[in-house]
Amino acid sequence: MQTILVNELRQRYGDFEAVGGISFEVGEGELFALLGTNGAGKTTTLETLEGFRNAGSGTVRVLGHDPYRERRALRPQLGIMLQEAGFFADLTVAETVDQWRRFTPSPRERDEVLGMVGLPQQTEVRTRQLSGGQKRRLDLALALLGRPRVLFLDEPTTGMDPEARHATWKIVRELVADGTTVLLTTHYLEEAEQLADRLAIMHRGRIEVAGTVADVVAGQGDRITFRVPDRVPVSDLPTLCGAVADIAVESGRAVAGYRVQGLQASLYELLRWAEHHRLELDGLQARSASLEDVFLHTAAATPEGAVR
Amino acid sequence: MNSSRLKDLVQPMSLSHVLAVARLDLTLLLRNRSVLFSVVGMPLLFGGMLFGFRGQETGGLDMALFAGTGYLAFFLVFAVFMNLVSVFTARREDLTLKRLRSGSLSDSEVFGGSLVVSGAIYLIQALLLVVVLGTALGGPWPANPLLMLAGMLAGVVVFALLAFAISGLTPNADMAQLTVVPVMFASMAGSGVMFPLEFLPGAAREAAGMLPLSPLVDIVRTGYFGQDHTVGGTQSDIGFVEAWIRCLKPFAVFALWTVVGLWSARRWFRWEPRHA
Repeated sequence: MQTILVNELRQRYGDFEAVGGISFEVGEGELFALLGTNGAGKTTTLETLEGFRNAGSGTVRVLGHDPYRERRALRPQLGIMLQEAGFFADLTVAETVDQWRRFTPSPRERDEVLGMVGLPQQTEVRTRQLSGGQKRRLDLALALLGRPRVLFLDEPTTGMDPEARHATWKIVRELVADGTTVLLTTHYLEEAEQLADRLAIMHRGRIEVAGTVADVVAGQGDRITFRVPDRVPVSDLPTLCGAVADIAVESGRAVAGYRVQGLQASLYELLRWAEHHRLELDGLQARSASLEDVFLHTAAATPEGAVR
Repeated sequence: MNSSRLKDLVQPMSLSHVLAVARLDLTLLLRNRSVLFSVVGMPLLFGGMLFGFRGQETGGLDMALFAGTGYLAFFLVFAVFMNLVSVFTARREDLTLKRLRSGSLSDSEVFGGSLVVSGAIYLIQALLLVVVLGTALGGPWPANPLLMLAGMLAGVVVFALLAFAISGLTPNADMAQLTVVPVMFASMAGSGVMFPLEFLPGAAREAAGMLPLSPLVDIVRTGYFGQDHTVGGTQSDIGFVEAWIRCLKPFAVFALWTVVGLWSARRWFRWEPRHA
């Protein structure tokens, strides 16, 4: 049984289709990341899986339950970190955790959970005085109170400084290592690269690309760029392992770019060509494809208002 | 997709969860001065006013006792109705309501905890007022406390449902001061709290009897004096059983308002801000 199952899910708000028929599965102990631009439908998908809203059409199952109709049975097994939720401003961190322990079956100890998220010094601070990153950590603490089997994290590290972000990644990795299933949305591609076993990129309510980071990036090709030397006509540029140069103009100068499969052989060909013609290649860059390339490519492919 | 609306008010509840929510509510209430004033200050103010009515007569009764028994009903509007409208509106807008729904609590437990606190505050206020009426204002002790309590509990349910509905129509916590006014004013002026409805012409009196607080005023006054104080009642002394029978119509009006309250709460209540 898949821990999370989404099949042909659609959600509408009035005339606006927020989610346009998506399907994916997440296995036990797996971390699945949903990436996408703002308004891509990530949060709507997550809130459907969390049981806040009924599926417009299609099927969603979490641990075999319909999350909306069987919320009562399912919720004690879930940890939910919403993208945005309020704290009672007059309560301290300790009071907030204590209060939530009363709502949670067999909860972790307060000190344990605050230690996990790195807030042990802030117990007597009122929640209104916490920084954005500290609030996010308290959010995470509440989501972890009930030792959830499935954890939903909606942009968990937004507002955190790099140190706190890395600390959070460490916590999430340990939870996954212990068998927790995690569904995460994020704006930070590095976060997905660091954490995700598999991911999907959503755009305008649909999943455009899905797979492991390696799968997703592989289709994209590696990239070699350099400034076209002044005395070389564009038509004289070589092909590299069959790839033809595309020319862009940056700061008034022509830049040649190649999308290639495998950097080493292509670079060797390029350097041999340059050596042969006694050329200096200014601004030579060679890099493997990144998730960012795929992401930007996906977001650019169907611009706002495009007819599909 | 009306997910942000009220799904079902009647769901299985765990008592420990309801009490945990109630404890949270009480903690927050004690730390919020303006809410605390409306819960403690307003009843004190109204209670104090009663001493100015002593010796005057209205509707064949001492005016302090007449108005005092009216307040036994009217305190419900402060403690339950206005309190719940402002609490649920503020929590919806600052997204704490959404947080309360993000864990193991069911929706009815979230409602139930707040209902227990506001209902308990009302009953304590009413009990204290009964003591003041019976001692400082020279009134009798309640003839039929069971009838009074049943009416009060029914009133708590009706006004909580109305509060959930009105909170859905209230854009923010500041506006809650305004959106409660129609119900508060209708209850104050038209339900016989301070002035007997007997002076009204027949049709207007029947209409006033249909207002949501009117049944409670009738039931509480009838139960307190052991006399028939329902709309058009004779004010003659009646026994335990007859008091219940005379109050069947007020309870029927409450039943009607329960239906209206359920319908409107289902239609208008919102868990999340409109702009989200």
